[in-house]
Amino acid sequence: MKILVAVKQVAALEEDFEIRADGKDVDEDFMLYDLNEWDDYSLEEAMKIKEASDTEVEVVVVSVGPDRVDESLRKCLAKGADRAIRVWDDSAEGSDAVVIGRILAETIKKEAPDMVFAGVQSSDQAYASTGISVASYLNWPHAAVVADLQYKPGDNKAVVRRELEGGLLQEVEINCPAVLTIQLGINKPRYASLRGIKQAATKPIEEVSLGDLGLSADDVGAAKSMSRVRRMYVPEKGRATMIEGTLAEQAAKIIQIINEFKGA
Amino acid sequence: MQDSADALVKLAIKAGDPYVAAAVHELATGASKRRLEAQMMGTRRTALSLARWEHTPASVLAALSGIGDDAVDLRLDKNPNTAAGVLSNLYVDASNKKNLDLTKLIAQHRNSEAGILKAIALHAEDAESLLALSKNPSANAEVLTCLSARLAEDELSVAVNKNIAQNISAPADLLERIYRQSDLHTQAAIIGHVNCPDALIAEAMDSEDLLVMRTLARDKRVTVDTLGRYARSDDAGVRCGVAANAATPVSLISDLINDRSELVRREIASRDDLLPVHIVKLLVDTDVWVRQRLARNEIAPLPVLKAFAADAQADVRRAVARNAQCPLELLESLATDSNAWVRAAVAYQHHSPPELLVALAEDEDVDVLSGVANNPNTPQRILEKLVASGEADVRRGVILNKAATRHTLLPLLEDPYYLHRILMVANPSMHELDKWNLREDPDYQVRFSVYRWAVKNIAPINARYIVGNEVIRRRRV
Repeated sequence: MKILVAVKQVAALEEDFEIRADGKDVDEDFMLYDLNEWDDYSLEEAMKIKEASDTEVEVVVVSVGPDRVDESLRKCLAKGADRAIRVWDDSAEGSDAVVIGRILAETIKKEAPDMVFAGVQSSDQAYASTGISVASYLNWPHAAVVADLQYKPGDNKAVVRRELEGGLLQEVEINCPAVLTIQLGINKPRYASLRGIKQAATKPIEEVSLGDLGLSADDVGAAKSMSRVRRMYVPEKGRATMIEGTLAEQAAKIIQIINEFKGA
Repeated sequence: MQDSADALVKLAIKAGDPYVAAAVHELATGASKRRLEAQMMGTRRTALSLARWEHTPASVLAALSGIGDDAVDLRLDKNPNTAAGVLSNLYVDASNKKNLDLTKLIAQHRNSEAGILKAIALHAEDAESLLALSKNPSANAEVLTCLSARLAEDELSVAVNKNIAQNISAPADLLERIYRQSDLHTQAAIIGHVNCPDALIAEAMDSEDLLVMRTLARDKRVTVDTLGRYARSDDAGVRCGVAANAATPVSLISDLINDRSELVRREIASRDDLLPVHIVKLLVDTDVWVRQRLARNEIAPLPVLKAFAADAQADVRRAVARNAQCPLELLESLATDSNAWVRAAVAYQHHSPPELLVALAEDEDVDVLSGVANNPNTPQRILEKLVASGEADVRRGVILNKAATRHTLLPLLEDPYYLHRILMVANPSMHELDKWNLREDPDYQVRFSVYRWAVKNIAPINARYIVGNEVIRRRRV
């Protein structure tokens, strides 16, 4: 039995940053990279299934990205993933979430897992569409924003609870294999043990090219994407004001603002 | 000493790690220093990261200031470790470039020299820098006086003086001068200032302004007559001040104990000069926080603690368990309380005996177990079990337990949470070699902590751990 977990290395911004010369992204020098928070949870969910199973379960993590992504994949290996695959070609630069979904779908076809997990969204782009795109390309059933999962390896159905607006939960039975996008809080992600980190440092990360997946440069990148970044900019500030004065004045001003807001 | 320092620097150079280089930088000289700086500043990304990091030592920040990168300088101006000399150079640079953002950051930096702050007070033209300066507690009396005087005729003076009125460094004479020309808000702030002269306090006692009265009601210098007048105020905030004032006489406490505002009664319940008659009254107060504060009050007698130990509100029972005077009999009964927060309070209570903590170690609640782990009375055999807990909070409790022995703590050198390993580097129970063996930890912050520890303890460290040492096996006990 195999669970494939799609993960992403996300960028967090420093407080002060500069936009790249082409105006389409932030200068990389000002980005801090880490594994996407949602992916911590989807990997943990896969590990829980693996550890609770009587049968052998293989957990494979896959990411689309350049060399620096290896660091995040090693983090997944350190937490117990059995294998890690990184797919990249420079021509994939600028791919939108749907194209990334296609690349992942081709990887999944080769790996033939029984289940695919992805995070609900990435913390840097927040499209919340990669996992769904994967399901669409595979023509698999999918459930988004999964807050609880009941599934045993070998089952042809899983029961998931989906998080909806207003605090509602929707219990859904879904045919397997399926793509599930996992929500924060579904579990408590582990820290990698020191032993796990050391072992992960020596594990190979499988590098897969577009050609290995039957894709070419013409299938990926900004030109093939249905959405492209035109520019990235910091909007003009204007609505925020600092409340100055003595502490008592600041408190009085806040009370006044609240009362005005409430129409009091 | 010198040999050990040199060896440490050589090892850092060999490690090729910018964070390790940063940790030992202050020990290095000449070519070694340049090599370390090349490691730290090899990429702009690393330089930016070190310039921003709150743990970067001052010597590294000084080296980074020589790069001449505006983005690095911005981070240096914000970094709390940047030394005064570096900030002075950055101020000159910012002035030449007319970079107002950097000037403002230097104006508010705690390490800025008085001379630089005075220059800003006298010459800066932008309101942001002047306002930032007026809030900086490192601006001394002379700087603040210069600033206030310079802006005397400026429309910015009102805002600047408001900030000075709340600045801990403002001298009494300046506060008095500002008081004479300020609105009631600023006057109230000055009345509450630790340096407010007695003459102003005496003068302000005639004020009928609520803000002034609320502030003065908490001041020990206020006369008993004034406190009596304040105790009859219609404003609960004023009466709260009286209730909290250590100078308030018992006669007024007797009045305020029946106050219609629970906020006033809560302040009363925390006092350490309550008479038995007051306590009897507060014992049956309908407000849970009044009872909670009395239950926490160390003057509460045993019958009161007993009554509160059976209170319907868990917060009150927890307060009893947290009371330093709580007797063993009550701790024993509260240890079996249905509410985990109450049991946790017993677990954290330093008067809880070992046998009680052994029983609480069987609890399943993480807060209770964290308390047991943290308690210096917990037997080592229990701590040894808690070290294996799956809950990081519990394991951290053992690390922070001053009574935990090295033998107990040893497994935590491999704790999966990096912060715990950093705490282990700082733990006095661990041997030098235990700490030194973490120098190749996967986490850069742990490695940095180990080398910083080594730098600070370079004299006691035996050089044999360092010189030519590739691999040291951790000694198992």
